[in-house]
Amino acid sequence: MDRRHFVKTTGALSILGAAAPFATQLAAAGAAAAQSAPDYKALVCIFLFGGNDANNMLLATDTGSFDRYFRARNTGADPIALMPVGTERTPVGATSPVTGRVAQAATPEAWGGVLPIAPRTAHTTPDGVPRSFAVHPFMPGVQALFAANRLAAVANVGPLVRPITKAQYLARSVPTPANLFSHNDQQSVWQAGAVEGARVGWGGRMGDMLASQNGGASLFTAISTAGNAVFLSGRDIIQYQLSTAALPALVVNGATAASLFGSSSAPAGLREIIQGASANHFMQFDHTAVTARSMASATTLNSAFAAVGTGVAAPPAFVNPITGLTETNSLAVQLQTVARMVASSNTLGAKRQVFFVSLGGWDTHDFQNRNQSANLARVSHALTYFDSVLGSVAGVDRRAQVTTFTASDFSRTLNTNGDGTDHAWGGHHFVSGGAVNGGDLYGAFPTIGVDTAGFVNPDMVSSSGHLIPTTAVDQYAATLGAWFGVGAGDLATIFPNLGQFSRPNLGFV
Amino acid sequence: MEQVTITSAAAGSPEFAALAAEAAGETGGVSLGWAAFSVGTVASVAATTAAVLPMVTETLGPVDGGTTSTTPILPDTGKPVTPLSAVDASRFLTQATFGPTDSTVGLLRNIGVDAWLFQQVWHPVMASHRAYVDARLVALRAVNPQAQLNATHVYETFWREAATAPDQLRQRVKLALSEIFVVSMADPAIDVRGAASYFDMLGENAFGNFRTLLEQMALHPMMGVYLTHLANQKEDLNTGRKPDENFAREVMQLMSIGVYLLNEDGGVRMDGAGQGIPSYSPNDISELAKVFTGFSWYHPTPTNNTFFGGSRNVNSYVLPMIPYPFYHSTSQKSFLGTVIPAGAANPAGDLRIALDAIFNHANVGPFIGKQLIQRLVTSNPSPSYVARVAAVFANDGQGVRGDMKAVITAILTDGEARQFSWAASHPSYGKLREPVVRLANWMRAFGAASVSGNWLVGSTSGGTLLGQSALTAPSVFNFFRPGYSPPNTRMGTAGLVAPEFQGVDEVSVAGYVNTMQTAIGTGIGTGSDVRAGYFAEIQLARDPAALAERMNALLCCGHMSSVLRTKLIEAVTSVTIPAPTPTNQAAVDTALLNRSKLAVLMAMASPDYLIQR
Repeated sequence: MDRRHFVKTTGALSILGAAAPFATQLAAAGAAAAQSAPDYKALVCIFLFGGNDANNMLLATDTGSFDRYFRARNTGADPIALMPVGTERTPVGATSPVTGRVAQAATPEAWGGVLPIAPRTAHTTPDGVPRSFAVHPFMPGVQALFAANRLAAVANVGPLVRPITKAQYLARSVPTPANLFSHNDQQSVWQAGAVEGARVGWGGRMGDMLASQNGGASLFTAISTAGNAVFLSGRDIIQYQLSTAALPALVVNGATAASLFGSSSAPAGLREIIQGASANHFMQFDHTAVTARSMASATTLNSAFAAVGTGVAAPPAFVNPITGLTETNSLAVQLQTVARMVASSNTLGAKRQVFFVSLGGWDTHDFQNRNQSANLARVSHALTYFDSVLGSVAGVDRRAQVTTFTASDFSRTLNTNGDGTDHAWGGHHFVSGGAVNGGDLYGAFPTIGVDTAGFVNPDMVSSSGHLIPTTAVDQYAATLGAWFGVGAGDLATIFPNLGQFSRPNLGFV
Repeated sequence: MEQVTITSAAAGSPEFAALAAEAAGETGGVSLGWAAFSVGTVASVAATTAAVLPMVTETLGPVDGGTTSTTPILPDTGKPVTPLSAVDASRFLTQATFGPTDSTVGLLRNIGVDAWLFQQVWHPVMASHRAYVDARLVALRAVNPQAQLNATHVYETFWREAATAPDQLRQRVKLALSEIFVVSMADPAIDVRGAASYFDMLGENAFGNFRTLLEQMALHPMMGVYLTHLANQKEDLNTGRKPDENFAREVMQLMSIGVYLLNEDGGVRMDGAGQGIPSYSPNDISELAKVFTGFSWYHPTPTNNTFFGGSRNVNSYVLPMIPYPFYHSTSQKSFLGTVIPAGAANPAGDLRIALDAIFNHANVGPFIGKQLIQRLVTSNPSPSYVARVAAVFANDGQGVRGDMKAVITAILTDGEARQFSWAASHPSYGKLREPVVRLANWMRAFGAASVSGNWLVGSTSGGTLLGQSALTAPSVFNFFRPGYSPPNTRMGTAGLVAPEFQGVDEVSVAGYVNTMQTAIGTGIGTGSDVRAGYFAEIQLARDPAALAERMNALLCCGHMSSVLRTKLIEAVTSVTIPAPTPTNQAAVDTALLNRSKLAVLMAMASPDYLIQR
C-alpha cells in the first residue's frame, strides 16, 4: 500500500485507541441488539452567519466575572445583560427586583436567570477563584444535552495564525488573520483559513481525504442545505446542494416528462441542452456541469429519501419565546434533511460525510435582546431535535456517528452600543453528538471584563471588549477531523499552522 | 423600537391625505431635509436641461409602457451615426436594459448608441415605487380596512418597471445600485413603503453625482435601520458604550472604498511582501462611527423622544433622517487621514466632511466602476477597461468627479463592451445573467403583460424558484460577492471571478428551468398574472429555422451555437401542426403556440443564453 493510504489507515485506527468514543460506540451497538450501526461518520457544521454574541450564550457566573459582565451590559436604551442564575422570571409589566426596570417580553428580566451547567473539569480564574458557568435562559435543550454528556462547550475559539498575547496584539508583533471583524472575510477564514476569495475549505479537504471510503457515493461526500459554502469545497470534492423538501433533489420537469409542449421528443432535447450539449465556452460548461450533476443523481437521491419516508420525524413545533408565535425553525428543518441523509447513507453507500447548515440573523448591532435570544432558542431547539431523531434511525442509535459543531464569523463586543453589540473576535461554541466527551468545558475560558482603572484583562483588547482567542479554529477543527478519521499527517496538511499551537487535539470528541 | 404600522391615519381619511400630500409635495426626490445637504436637486437639473437642450416628445408602444415622455435629443455633433446591426443592438440592450424588445431594437438602430444613451441618462424619472405602493394600499383598504403592505407589493412595482418602463437604463442601473447599496426586505425591521422609497432614491440618483448618492443613501431611514446607524448615540465614557460601527464599516467596505487600496485599474496595490494594503483600520471605523451618531427619524418638531422613534408617522420611513445634535459625538474624530476637531455638536457638518473624505478617496472610481461593469457587462473586465471607467469617474471631461451619467456612458460605450470582436478573442469575457434579470428578459422579449395590471409575480426568492427577489438580499453582502470565484470550476481554476455563480447549485439550476417552463407555458404569479402571447413567434412557428433565429436575435445576441440551433429546430419540428381543416383551428393554434413556447424554453434554458457575452 502506498504511504498515503498507510497514513490514512493508521489515522483511522488511531481513533480506536481513544477510549471514550469507542466505548460509546460499543454501548450503542449493545443497546441496539438486533441491528448495528453501519460504518459511518458525519461532521455537521452549523454556521451562525453574522457573528454570534457568545458572551450571552455561554457565561462565567463566578461573582467577579458576572459582575463585570453585568456592569458592562446593564446599560443603554435596551440593556442586554442577562439575569443571574436562579433569578425568577419577572412577569411582563412587573418590576424586576434585579434591575428595577419593568419587564417586557423582549427584555432579559422576563426570561429568568441564566441556566447553570456544571463542567466535569474544574475551572478557576487566574486568581484561583473556582468558576461556574451557565447558558442563555432560552437554551434548556443545550443545558440538558450538556448534563447528558452529549454536548461540550469549547471556550474562546477564533482564527489565529499563531498564539498571541494581548501585548503582542497591541504591538502588532505577531501576525493575525487578515481583515478581522469583516463579516465575509471572517466567514471565509473560519471555513477556509483564508479571506474572501478562498476556493477550498477544511470540510471539503477532509472530504478529499476520506472520499474513497464512499466509493461511488463520493458525489455525496460534502452536502449543503444552505447554499454554496467554501467550507465544503475540496480540491476534488465538490459540494452537493440538497433542498429541504421531503425529496431533496429538484427534478427538471421539462427534461424528464413524457412530453413537453406537445412533443414527446423535446424533453430529451432540453435535457441535452441544459447538460451541456451546446456548450462551447468554459463559463457555459461550468453552468451545465452543475445541471448535469443535479440530473444524474436526482433519482438516486429521491429514491433513497423516499425509502426513509416518515422514518425521520419532523421537528416539533418551535414557539418563538419572544412573540409566543409558532414558527418554522429553519435550522431544525435543515437538520431533518441531514438526518434523512444519515438514514439514507447506507443505501447510497456513503460512509463519511460533511454537512453544512446555517442560521442567519446573528449580526445584532441592534435589537439584540429580541433577535439573538430567539435565535439561541432556535439553536437549542434544533440541537435537541437532532439528538432525538438520531437516537433512533431505523431503530438504530446513530448519535455516536454524527458530531455537530457551531461556527460563526466572530463573537461580539462585551460592551453594548445601547441595544446591541459590534464585531469582535474569539467566542464560545458547542459540539454535540454521541461521541462527544460532553458535560465539560474545553479550552481556556477567558477573563471577562473590559479594562478599567483598577482592572486589566489580559484576554480582552479594545475599549469595546474583544476577546483574543485562546483556542484557534485550527485546533477546534483538527480535533473534529481527528475523530472523523483524518490522520495526523493529513491534518497538518489541511491546517499548516496547527503546529504553532500547543495541542492539536482538544479532546472534546 | 417597535415597528409603527400605518394605523394612525386610515386610508382615505383627511389625515392620511394630508400626510400623503406632504410627502408628495416633495416632488422628484426633493424632500424636506435634502435641501440642507444636497449638491443639486432633480428639479433644478430638469430645469437646466429644458433650458439648453432641444426636447422631443414621443409616445412609446405598449411594451415600453405606452407612455408619453419628453426627452432631450443629442445635439447634432455632425458625427455620422454608425448603423448598428440587429445583433449588436440586441447585445447592447442586453447590457443596458432589462432585455431587448423589437421596438427598442428598432429605436436603437434608428438613433444609435450615443443618442440612445443620452436620452436615457437625461430621461425624467417616470414612476415612483413609493407612489405605487401608496396607491396600492388605498385600493387594498377599500376592500379590507385592515390591509397592510408587504414585500410582494414592492415586487409588483419592481416588475412593472423592469418589464415596461421607458427609462430602461435607469431601471437596470437601479437594480445594480441596489446590489451595492444593499437594503433588504428580508430584514423584518425594514418598512415596505420605506424600501420602495429607498429604491426610488437610488433611481433618482442613478444619473446624478455619486457624492449626492452617497449622502442620500446614508441619510435614508431604511439604510439607517438596515445598517443600524439610525438613532446611533454618541459615546458614553461612563458606561463604556461606544457608537454602533455597523454603517461606518460597511459604507467603506462595500459601498465606496473596499478593503484594500486599489490602483486605478482595480488591481489591489501590493506591499513589499506581496500583501494587499488595508485601506482603513479598525480605528478608522470606530472614529468614523462617531460621525454617524445623532441621526434619526424625521419629525417636524424633533425631541429626544422622537430620536428614539416616538411620534412616528407614515412619512418617517421615507423622509431623510435629520440631525439631533444632542446625540451627536463632539469628540475629535480622526479617520482616513481627516481630522474633525472636538467642538460643538455639528452633525451635518461632520457628515459632509466624512462623506467628502470617502468620496474623494482614490479607490472609489475603480471600486465602484468595476462593480458596475460586473453588473452590466462582464465579470472580469480588463484592468485597462476598469482604468478607463475610473478615469471618467475622477473627471467626466468637464472637471467633475463622480458624474454617474458619464460613468455609465463610459461603461457602455467602451470598446470592451461594444465590440463583439473583443469577446470573441477574450474567452474570459462574459457573465452569468442574474435570475431576476432572466425573468425580466422574458417579459420584455415576448411582450408579457399583467392581467391584473399589478404584476403579481410575488416573491421569487425560494430555491425552487429563482433564488432571488429584488431588494431582498440575504444580507448587506448582496446575493453574491463581486470577488466570488466558483470552486471546482474551469473559471475558478483560471483564477476568474463569477459573482452570479454564487447562487448556482444543484437545486437552483433545476428551480430556474422549472420556473421558466411554467412562466413561459402559462404565466407566473398569482393566477398566472404575468403571461406572454408570443404573437410574433406564432407567425414564425411554421418555419422552425426562423423561430430559432428569432431566439438567437432576442436571447442569444446572435451567437447561438449550431448545436443549440439544430436541437431547437429538431424539437420545434417535432411538435406536429395538424393540417388545417374547417374545424380544427384551435388545434392548429395550440400547435403553433406550443412550438413557440418550446423554442423560448429551450433557448432560455441554454448556456448560450445564460452566459451573456
